[in-house]
Amino acid sequence: MPRLLIVEDDDRIRLSLKLALEDEGYTVRDVGTAEEGLAEHKATPADLVLVDLMLPGMDGFDCIRALRRLGDVPIVVVSARDDTHDVVAALEAGADDYVVKPVAVKELSARLRALRRRASGSGENDQKVLRFGEIELRPEAGEVLLGEEQVHLTRTEFRLLCELAEQSGRVLSRQQLLDRVWGYEVYGDERLVDVHMGRLRRKVERDPANPTHLVTVRGLGYKLAP
Amino acid sequence: MRALGLRARITTVFALGALGLSASLAVATYELTRSSLLDERERAAVRGAYLDASFIRTGLGGADPDIVAALQNLDTGEVRRPLVRRDGQWFARSADNGLTTAIPDRLQALVDAGTPAVQRVPLRDSSALVVGVPLRAVGASYYEISPLTELERTLGVLASALGAVALATTVAGATVGWVVSRRVLRPLASVAGAAGSIASGDFTARVARDSDPDLDKLAVSFNRMVDEVSARSEADRRFAADVSHELRSPLQTLSAATSVLERRRQSLDDRTAAAVDLLTSEVARFESLVTDLLELAKSDRPAERRPTDVVALTRAFVANRQLPPGVLDATGEAAVLDVDPRRYEQVLANLVDNAARHGGGVVRIGLQVADDQLVLEVDDEGAGVPLDERDLVFDRFARGRASSMRGGSDGTGLGLALVTQHVQAHRGTVEVLDRPGGGARFRVVLPGEPA
Repeated sequence: MPRLLIVEDDDRIRLSLKLALEDEGYTVRDVGTAEEGLAEHKATPADLVLVDLMLPGMDGFDCIRALRRLGDVPIVVVSARDDTHDVVAALEAGADDYVVKPVAVKELSARLRALRRRASGSGENDQKVLRFGEIELRPEAGEVLLGEEQVHLTRTEFRLLCELAEQSGRVLSRQQLLDRVWGYEVYGDERLVDVHMGRLRRKVERDPANPTHLVTVRGLGYKLAP
Repeated sequence: MRALGLRARITTVFALGALGLSASLAVATYELTRSSLLDERERAAVRGAYLDASFIRTGLGGADPDIVAALQNLDTGEVRRPLVRRDGQWFARSADNGLTTAIPDRLQALVDAGTPAVQRVPLRDSSALVVGVPLRAVGASYYEISPLTELERTLGVLASALGAVALATTVAGATVGWVVSRRVLRPLASVAGAAGSIASGDFTARVARDSDPDLDKLAVSFNRMVDEVSARSEADRRFAADVSHELRSPLQTLSAATSVLERRRQSLDDRTAAAVDLLTSEVARFESLVTDLLELAKSDRPAERRPTDVVALTRAFVANRQLPPGVLDATGEAAVLDVDPRRYEQVLANLVDNAARHGGGVVRIGLQVADDQLVLEVDDEGAGVPLDERDLVFDRFARGRASSMRGGSDGTGLGLALVTQHVQAHRGTVEVLDRPGGGARFRVVLPGEPA
């Protein structure tokens, strides 16, 4: 069973989410502060983390950054705040998804499932290699090389790159990417795509301000150009 | 006609002031010059006339004198024309040329009565001085006419010179006014600029302090006003955020806890299951009510426009709601438009929910996308909306008459108010019409660019 860590200072929310998500098949540990959460994750790494933004002591943004330094565990922000500023800051800090309270358990569960998915691939050939200029992508091995150097991507960044790579130069709209990577079937927050694309560019583009491979197509979406 | 701007008015006042000053100076100068020149000419004319008159008196001394010869012997220079009148008859050096008629009768009467006289009279195109000297000893009158053509030409030149100077002064006055007004109005321009930035949401805009104490007062009080407004707006924002947090947090607990209950519904007895159902549906309604209220509270936020494939978004919506694909009737030459996709999706969802709740379900979603706007129509086959309710349905907590008669609804009463807000954020329009064939048609027009 996937291990889920909840970092939430409101006891009642924490308990109700724990009960509801245990019903959904997760092994849940819950803590009230970011410090405890980090210690817990270091002791026994979780498969998924839910983080509230307003926490006593270390706040949610710092908690996300600290978790990101430890690894690429998928992080979902569950916050009562829906300001653009907070959403973008949390995503920039390294969160994979952002949901606003109150979120239905079914919806949250769908978000978590999507983030647990592995990169899509045919599975026929483990040695498949896709090349885009200096970027070398091995979807089955989960590896990305920029020139000779191995690049470390989070699971979500890697899946985003793979979805674009699979299209070999065709454009994917933000909503299509939200559907394929984050599992939003209807309308999803396009800021998720834009912030992740920015993070991805900083990792695989030589000049992230003037990307040559991860290109924005105005009015349409993104494509991965060879 | 539009009223003149402050700057134009200042410039006009400067120009009028300069014009008034220079014109009165010019008129005074002209008048002084003219009268002194005329006086001088008159004195010269009178002196000359008396001298000539004494010669003529001598010439007319004898019996039967030759008046014309006497006149011809006079040395009158180029300009003075001598005339003699004796016994009602005029004598001149040469043909009359209308000179005698230029001498007014009253002057003649005066001179005949023995009084010397001087008068300025019109002569042909110009004017002339007439000097009359009575020659009582010889029973005649002597007249000399001095045309003033030369003098008038001089005065004409003077007048044009003075006029040109007055004109130049006026233009200079207007220029000074324009320049000075720019200097004076600069603080107003910077206040206008700052006010514009603040109106568009930038509360960091301030007016630079001015070295002039009078203008500085404006800058200081404007900046203080902005400080207070932004503090108040920040307090409002924080309050809204706090309220939002305080409402959302317990709802999260309720929502998660009811989902635990719902999952175990099968193992509950009927009474408990019925209570759980009530709880679940009311928590869901409460959730959407709070979400809608918080969304309505954000009425001041602008639409976050971005190029959006509205046709694809609508198609995905139709598929997700499991509506028959044929319900979507998309036409038009474009699919991508600059709109706020989140707001568009909410408009669509609320209209479809409204049709389901009050109109027996949506039967058609018409979408027509052009380069500059989209027209969205959501049709149902319900009873339609009576004419007198068509404005009311967009009010907050307005419910359709039919639904209130049914005694309840799972709607929040905020759906159409939210539609209105999202549409207004796009500067678009929403209206309810009759659907051909019965039912209601909600038509939304969203312009692609801010109008």
